[in-house]
This record gives sequence, structure tokens and C-alpha cells, in this order.
Amino acid sequence: MTTDADRPAATRAPADEGARLGFRLTLPAQVLVLFISAFPLLMQLYISLTDWSPLTGSPWPRAWEYWNGFANYLDLVSDGRLWRSIWRTLLVVAVAVPIEFLLGLGLAMLFVDDFPGKRVAYSILIAPMMVVPAVAGYMFFMLFQSGGPVNGLLSLFTAEPVALAWLSNPSTALVAVIVADIWQWTPLMFLILLAGLVGVPQDQLRAAALLGASPAQRLVTIVIPRMKTIMLIALALRVIECIKIFDTLFIMTGGGPGDATQTLSVYIYDITTQDLIWGYVAAIALAILVVLSAGAVWAMRRMAR
Amino acid sequence: MSAIRLENLVKRFGSFTALKPTNLAIGDGEFMALLGPSGCGKSTTMNMIAGMEEPSEGRILFGERDMAGVPMGRRGVGFVFQNYAIFTHMSVRRNLDYGLRMSGRPAAEVRRRTEAMADLLGLGDLLDRPTAGLSVNILQRIAIGRSAIMEPAIFLLDEPLSNVDAAFRAVMRTELKSLQRQFRQTMVYVTHDQLEAMTMADRIAVMDHGVLQQVGTPLEVYNAPANTFVARFIGSPGMNLCAGRLAQTDRGLAVDLGALGLTPPLPPALAAAARNGRSEVIYGFRPEAVHPDPAGLRLPLIVAERIGARTILHLGRGGDTVRAVFQGNPDLPADEIALAPDPAAVRLFDAATGAAIAEA
Repeated sequence: MTTDADRPAATRAPADEGARLGFRLTLPAQVLVLFISAFPLLMQLYISLTDWSPLTGSPWPRAWEYWNGFANYLDLVSDGRLWRSIWRTLLVVAVAVPIEFLLGLGLAMLFVDDFPGKRVAYSILIAPMMVVPAVAGYMFFMLFQSGGPVNGLLSLFTAEPVALAWLSNPSTALVAVIVADIWQWTPLMFLILLAGLVGVPQDQLRAAALLGASPAQRLVTIVIPRMKTIMLIALALRVIECIKIFDTLFIMTGGGPGDATQTLSVYIYDITTQDLIWGYVAAIALAILVVLSAGAVWAMRRMAR
Repeated sequence: MSAIRLENLVKRFGSFTALKPTNLAIGDGEFMALLGPSGCGKSTTMNMIAGMEEPSEGRILFGERDMAGVPMGRRGVGFVFQNYAIFTHMSVRRNLDYGLRMSGRPAAEVRRRTEAMADLLGLGDLLDRPTAGLSVNILQRIAIGRSAIMEPAIFLLDEPLSNVDAAFRAVMRTELKSLQRQFRQTMVYVTHDQLEAMTMADRIAVMDHGVLQQVGTPLEVYNAPANTFVARFIGSPGMNLCAGRLAQTDRGLAVDLGALGLTPPLPPALAAAARNGRSEVIYGFRPEAVHPDPAGLRLPLIVAERIGARTILHLGRGGDTVRAVFQGNPDLPADEIALAPDPAAVRLFDAATGAAIAEA
């Protein structure tokens, strides 16, 4: 066996030498990173192929004793609760994110020009983002009580007092959850889109106006093309975050009534802490990771084009 | 119809007055340069003409039509920005036909007019290229073409040559002038470069500190500056201005310049106008309009700048200096030079107001 040291130094290219030295010096760090990222994944893959759960009494390395092959993955396909929770999650994303986007964009446009009290209004607008999600959840839990302020406000416009039990009515609970998400995350959209809008060259907008373009035409021909990248980033951020929606929602409804607001994260939380079927949980989590990664790769390919 | 009239135009930003009451009439088809140092109010004036800023007071009329409240897109004004403001996310064609597309003209007409404009400006081969990465001279032509295609009656140019290197500036000066002849529009050209103003403009409006100092043809402004600011600002180097007092000599009225000595007698017409009860004046003459004269001012030479075609002499005594420009490379005495301003080129200004003293 020949090692590097046995060969005459002159036959090795210096660049090659440098790269190899670099590799050796960073090897410990690379092993650590690999361990941190790869180990949980491999462990998850391993457990997902078994029926193991902490209740079996065996430590996880001995999960092979409960080997069941791909049974968990087959169960997943026919799991109605899972698919309903995915559908609900996508519904929340499909409603909340576009509304947040449009509200954020509209607000950002108002904030491009100066107006009295702009700084104060700005601070108030981004405040919701600073609120701890659990606190926000509790706030909206209170707001949406049947005798709460939301009903009080609606009562102003109706003949009879509104006494809707928002959070315990399966058909309105999701609405309340979406409203809370919009309240909390529109500011992020606003901030990102404002940064994008400010970056649109004023001279180009003026030039367009001088050439007779209406405000709407300027928006379509100058502002949006100039902001495309930042808009995509804002949308991607919110879609990814919104798919994971959990904390505010969990405080407000706990996923209920029944499973009316059980999103993907809530479902996984439930089967992890209550059903304790960890082999199945691992299978779901891995499947979601694969699907989301594939989606992200596809989206990035499209963006690059 | 495309004459421009500014009546008592004022612009204030908060407590700062960018433009003091200004009256200016620009004729139909005229090339007017607004010339002045930075912060003199020339760009503000132009932005108000374009409708990008509202006047604080006064009126802007295009022909007989008051432009108050007319939005910038409806004024029929073409505007070329200092940085050209090219839509860099669009192709050359999309830039040129932007205005036509936005006004919803039929596709065939848009195509025909865009191609005609591109040919006129020599952009035909570039039509479907992206604008990012094109050179500055091309970008400038796109900026001009993009406005010109709308056939505006009035063309406003905001320092369009300030981003261009010196060699190309000379090319663009002639190109711009010929474009204006072609389009026959009223052009208002903002610049701080007197060379651009002098070579291209029909008339120049010199501004400083928000005040219109003088309006006139390039030669009027050069030969008969209305005040000391214009005298110093126009010309390279500017006019020599020396404070002095009127002194009666046996050969006629002259000016005693203190440390610089006594000037030759003033021309009779100027002398008559100068007397008029004052004694303090500012004596001005162009550095180019001097000739050697043993009976003239005798001044020590400080520095001689020889730049080939011309020689610029810095002369003076004490803190007072005078510049003189001679053609070519004359032989110079080492210590002292005797010269006199050409009598016809001597200008006098009131010492208190700086205004020119007109010949009676």
C-alpha cells in the first residue's frame, strides 16, 4: 500500500497537495456536521421501518426486533386523518399566504412615500411579528370567544347581537386560525416587500409616468418585474413557515373541535404524544421531508429559469 | 404651441427656497440651456416644467395653456434623465415602444414607429437585445428615442452628458444638436457645463442660488455678462474682476486697482456711464482680451501654464491676481509683464450690487 508520504514529493501537483491538506484539516468538523445532520435522518429511517415505540421497553437501537418493513409507509397512503390534515394545512396556506402577500404589498406601497406619523405607524404595523406566537394564540383565543370583542365588533353591523362560538364551531375554527396567522405574519410580508419596493429605481418610475403609464401600468411593467425575486422569496418563506403552522393554532384550538383544525404539525404532535406510534411518526416525517425537498428543488429550478 | 412661459415661479422645500420668483419665456423650437452650479435651482425648475414637482407659487404655461394640475404623463413632455433611467429588465425594443404600448396604440403602428425610431438613432441591429450591459452612448440614445417616439412638443434633458467621458461628450454634443434640428422641438437642457451650454444652446439662462441671473445668447452672456456672477461663471478661465476706485487722469477716467496699479483710461462711453455719482467699481476684462502694452498694467508673473494651444498666465501682486490668456507659446519676460485689456472688452460692475454698468 502506497501512501502520500511514500511517493516523491515532486510528482504531486501543489494545488492537489493544498486541497488534500485542507480536507484533512477540516475532516473533524466535517465528521461532526455529517453526524449532526445525517445521524438523526438515518435513525429516523431505521425506526420508520419498525413498529418500535418507547412503550415496548426496548431501547431504540434494538428496534429491529419489531421490524415490519415498509408497512408504515403503506399505512400512510391509506391514513384518512393524515390526508385530511394535509388538505387542511394546504387550505390554510392557500388562503392565508395570498392574503398576507396582498395586504403586505398594499401596505408597503402606502409606506413608500412619506406621510405624517409614518414612523409610529410603521412600528405599530410590525409589532404583531414581535409577539410570541403562544401569546398571540392566547390573544386570539380570547378575542374569538362567543362573548368576545370579535363578536362585539360584528354586532355593531347586525340587528341582533352576534354570539358565534368561533373556536368550538368546526366550520369557523379554521377561519379564526387563519385570521390569527394573517395578523401575525402580514408584517413580515410588509417588511420584505417594502424593502423590495424601496429598491425599485424612482427614476424609472418617473420615466414611465412621463411616458404616460398609469399607476396600474407602472405596477405591472416596472414594479413587479423589478420585485419578482424578492416577491418569490417572501412567498417561499411564508409558504414554508405556514406549512409548519402549529403554536398559535394549538393554543387557540388544540386542533379541535374534533379534528377541524388539525393541521399536519398538530396531527404529528397528536400521534407522537398520544398514540405513541413512533415508527409510524418517523415514516410520515420522512415522507414529508422527501416531498417538500422535491418541491423545493422543483421551485428553485423554475426560479433559475 | 410648444413655447414655455414661467411666470413668477417659486419653489420652496420647507423653509428653503430653491427657486426665487422667476420669469422666463422659452420660444417654440428653441434650445434653451439652464446653466448654473449645483444647487442653483436649475433642476428644480426643470422638474416643475415636467410636472414632477408642484410649484409653490407662480404659473407654468405651455403656449397659452396653464399646466397647473396637469399630471406629468399628460403634459406631452419628453424627459431624459441624468442616469437615463433605462428599463433594464426590458429589451431595447420594449424600452423604445414603452410609451406607445402604454397608450394602447395598435401593434402594427407600434412596430412601424419603433423601427423607424431605431433606424434614425442607429439602434436597428440592437432592437431585440437586452439593455443590461449596453454602453453608455447606446443607453443615452435609447433614452432619447424612448421619449422622442412619443413626439413630445417639449424635450427636457437633465445633464444627459455628465456620465459620459470627455471624448464621447464632444460627439454627443453634435449629435444632440442635430437631433434637435431633426425633431424641431423646444428643448430645455440643464447643465453645469458651460461648454455644453455655449455650443448647443440658442439661448442660455444662467442661474445661481435660485435666482435667474441672465438670459441671452451664448455670445451675449459671454460678452456682456449682466453681473459679476455671470462674468466669473462663464468663460474658462472666467472674467478677471478687480475691485478699484475711479480715478481722473490727464488722459481720461481710469480705475485705480490699488496694488495692481492704474488701468489705462476707460473708453469714453463707459467712462460716462461709470461716473454717475459712484467711485467704487469692479473692473472686469476677459483673460483672452488682453494685449502687451508698455503703458498698461505692469504685473509680476506668478505662474505660466503652457497647454500647447494656449498659455495661461497668473499675474499679481499682494493678494490680487489676474489671469491672461495668450494664443500659442509666446516668449515671456521672466519677471514682469506689461499688458492692457482690449478697450472694447472692458466691463465695469457696480461694487455694491455686482450688476453691470451699461454704457450710456
